Amino acid sequence: MTYLLRDVSTMTVRGLRLVSRDVDAMITAVLLPVVILLMFVLVFGGALDVGTDYINYVTPGVILLAAGFGAANTALAVEHDMSSGMVERLRSMPVTAWTVLSGHVVASLAKNLATTAIVFGVSILMGFRPEASALEWLAAVGMILLFVGWITWLAALVGVLVRSPDAAGGFSFIVMFLPYVSSAFVPVDTLPGWMRGFAEHQPVTPVIETVRGLLAGDVATAADPGGAAALAVAWCLGLGVTFAVAAGLAFRARR
Amino acid sequence: MTTTLRDAVALAERPARPSPLSTTLTFGWRALLKIKHVPEQLFDVLVTPVIFTLMFTYLFGGALAGSTQAYIQFLLPGILVQTILFVTIYTGYTLNTDISKGVFDRFRSLPIWRPSPVVGALLGDTVRYTVAAVITITLGLILGFRPDGGLGGVLLGVLLLLVFAFALSWTFIILGLLVRSPNAVMGVSMIVLMPLTFASNVFVDPETMPSGLRAFVSVNPVSHLVTAVRGLMAGSPDATEIVWVLIASVVLTAVLGPIAMRIYRSKS
Repeated sequence: MTYLLRDVSTMTVRGLRLVSRDVDAMITAVLLPVVILLMFVLVFGGALDVGTDYINYVTPGVILLAAGFGAANTALAVEHDMSSGMVERLRSMPVTAWTVLSGHVVASLAKNLATTAIVFGVSILMGFRPEASALEWLAAVGMILLFVGWITWLAALVGVLVRSPDAAGGFSFIVMFLPYVSSAFVPVDTLPGWMRGFAEHQPVTPVIETVRGLLAGDVATAADPGGAAALAVAWCLGLGVTFAVAAGLAFRARR
Repeated sequence: MTTTLRDAVALAERPARPSPLSTTLTFGWRALLKIKHVPEQLFDVLVTPVIFTLMFTYLFGGALAGSTQAYIQFLLPGILVQTILFVTIYTGYTLNTDISKGVFDRFRSLPIWRPSPVVGALLGDTVRYTVAAVITITLGLILGFRPDGGLGGVLLGVLLLLVFAFALSWTFIILGLLVRSPNAVMGVSMIVLMPLTFASNVFVDPETMPSGLRAFVSVNPVSHLVTAVRGLMAGSPDATEIVWVLIASVVLTAVLGPIAMRIYRSKS
């Protein structure tokens, strides 16, 4: 167990080093969500009636969108490790080889936490006023990390399965699509009927509703056992475990 | 009677030098052949307007205008402008690709009118703009866009847009001549065009924007172009805006055209 933890921490440090050296990806990961936040609040905010200040409504959605961008970079990093021969070298060493995936995932969580903090900072400068208590803040961050966790394991799985950087990059397009067709930017009831069905029953919507509720200081959202929070946790844990196991199996199968 | 190679080579007088028009048209045809041989380059032209139109109509239409049907009437002329302006980037992109591959060095050794490779490429790209416009309008009609200006209004709107796009292309030609790689052309162009198209009246009425942004939108050339095209398509043309766009097009061409050609000659 000690060896396992040591391997994971070593790979995490390696993952963080890779992140810190890819300056372009770092700038994009921070700038893109900020630009999207500015665009939606300044250009669309005044025209959209969401029952509250639009900045309060949209911030959780932009944070999850940022997580998607981060996950896309993870897919690229894993694909690079698989195709560059790095994994073959690890397999010849007394190292639990799949910890390379865990390292990428934990590094992605850390990077996304930093991006989330920056997006929160910018949104507060723009007038975002959360009414959450310390406990609610903690729960909101936990919810975001759960979301980042499953989406990053999905990215790791994609990185193992694909055979080219272009294919890994294409993953970001799909991941970006999910938050748009949810309650991230507009209330679900303003969407056309056929789209509303999908938006209401996909994993991103309950996560956004939960984070939004927690940041607004709405404890009822989190306490309701059949509500968005329970659904969000179930989605995230279910998908996280599924994709982690699938990534591990795919990693072992790929030679 | 056919002329043999020996006879052709032995001709005392040189063949007539091709006219500027014929060389320009030849290079225009070359631009079209590029599309034929590398159809993937049309991917952005085809996909971008489709994604933007569908996304904004269905995701934001209900929230912004009450219904997707109402919003598409407002949105489509704006999306059309945005699409064509993004496509103008490819003029500089393909020019830079030609330069980096060394093709332009070969053109310079030919006895042709110097600017014809550039002007020809511009003419060829006009076809690309037209394709993008047809796709965007067709999709709009499928989604429920019903222009009150009728076919005439739509054609005039597209024509005005093509005139402006031709003028704006000189900007990206200059960029294509100055920067080092095709990807750099794309990156810099996006940095310029993204704020211009989003901080405009393409997607929402500027009245709903903060005052600082509204001030920028009112002087943004894209906003003037969108208003002019929207007016023509809606059957209520705004003469002031149309004249503004035409003057801007003439000024852009008159100022940037010679600068582009000067840079082009200096690279010879």
